[in-house]
Amino acid sequence: MTTGAETIVAGLEAAGVTLAASVPDTWIGRLMAAVRGSGRIRAVDVAREEEAVAVACGANLAGGRGAVLIQNAGLLNCGAVLAGLVELYGLPCFFIVSLRGDYRDPVYYHAPKGRVTEATLQAWRLPYALADRTGDLAAQVRRGVEFAAESRGPFVLLISGEDLA
Amino acid sequence: MTGRKPFLDALAAHLGPEDVLVSCLGANARWLPHMKVAAPVFALCDSMSAAVPLALGIALTRPERHVVALEGDGSLLMSPNVLATAAAAGAPNLTIVLWVNGHYESSGGQALPAAPVDWPALARAAGLRHVETVAEPAGLGPALAAARRAPGPALLVLPIAFDPLEAIPPYSERPAEIRTRFKL
Repeated sequence: MTTGAETIVAGLEAAGVTLAASVPDTWIGRLMAAVRGSGRIRAVDVAREEEAVAVACGANLAGGRGAVLIQNAGLLNCGAVLAGLVELYGLPCFFIVSLRGDYRDPVYYHAPKGRVTEATLQAWRLPYALADRTGDLAAQVRRGVEFAAESRGPFVLLISGEDLA
Repeated sequence: MTGRKPFLDALAAHLGPEDVLVSCLGANARWLPHMKVAAPVFALCDSMSAAVPLALGIALTRPERHVVALEGDGSLLMSPNVLATAAAAGAPNLTIVLWVNGHYESSGGQALPAAPVDWPALARAAGLRHVETVAEPAGLGPALAAARRAPGPALLVLPIAFDPLEAIPPYSERPAEIRTRFKL
C-alpha cells in the first residue's frame, strides 16, 4: 500500500522537481526518507531553513526545479530570505511545511507555532494550502509546484503527520 | 594588505563563460555590472547569507559548470552553518571566495563583532577540505585553478584592506534585470 509520503513524492516527481532541500523534523524526516528513495529527486540536507530556500532557488535558476521541505518553525525563520530573494527577484519556490501545533499534533510544545503559522503566512502574503489527504495529494503537490513556477513566487503546502501515513 | 578592486579585477580575469558567478550583496555586487565578466553573474542586493546556498543549488543542478560564490565575512558570520552544508553536499564544482575586511561595508562600514575569527580553521572544522588563503591578487588565478581541481567544494579566503573612502558605484541593475539576464 502506498503511503502518503510516497504519494507526495510521486507528486513532486510528476511536477518535475529535481532537488529537495530540507531541515527535518519528525514528520519532514519521514517525508525526506521517501524522497531519498526517489531516483529523480536529489535530497540536499542543509543546516538552516534559509539555506534551503536559497538552494532551491539556485536549482530553479539553473534549469532544475527545487523544493523546500521544512517544519513551520523553520518557515518562521525565513522571512528575510523570502522578501530579499524569492519575492525581490521573482523566483519560484515551492514549500512543503509540517504544520506542527495544530489540533492534530499530539506534542504540546508545538502549540505556539501552530497558533501563528497561518496568520504569518497571511501577513507575509504567501499563497498556501492545507493538504487534504482525503483528496488527490499528489495532484495538490503538483498544483503547488506549478503555481510557484507560473507566478514566479512562493507557494506553501502545509501538511500534517497524518498526511504521511 | 590589498584593497578590493585589484582582487575583483583578478577574479573577473580568471572567469570564463563556462563558469558562473554568484555575488553577495554589497560592494562587489555594485562593482560587477561595471566590469567585463565572461561568466554569467547573479548578484544579490539584499538577503545576506544567501550567496553560498544559492550557488550550491546552481552547482548541484549544473555539475558541468564551475560556480563561484562571492561572500563577505559579515554575511558568512551571520550563518557560518552553510560551510557544513556545502561540505556535506560535496559539490566539487563550488568555490566560495570569502572577502574578509572586518566590516559591514554595505551598511556604512560598521565593524564586525571584534572576534578574531579564524576562517580557514572554521571552514576546515566544518568539513571543507580545500581551503586556501590568498594574500595577493596575483595568487588568485592559481588558487582558482587549484580549487577547480579539488575533489570537493573549496574555500578561498581573501584578506581585503577596508577603505572607507572607496568610491563604490550604486546598484545599477534591478533584480528582474539580473534574473532575466542570468542564463546558463
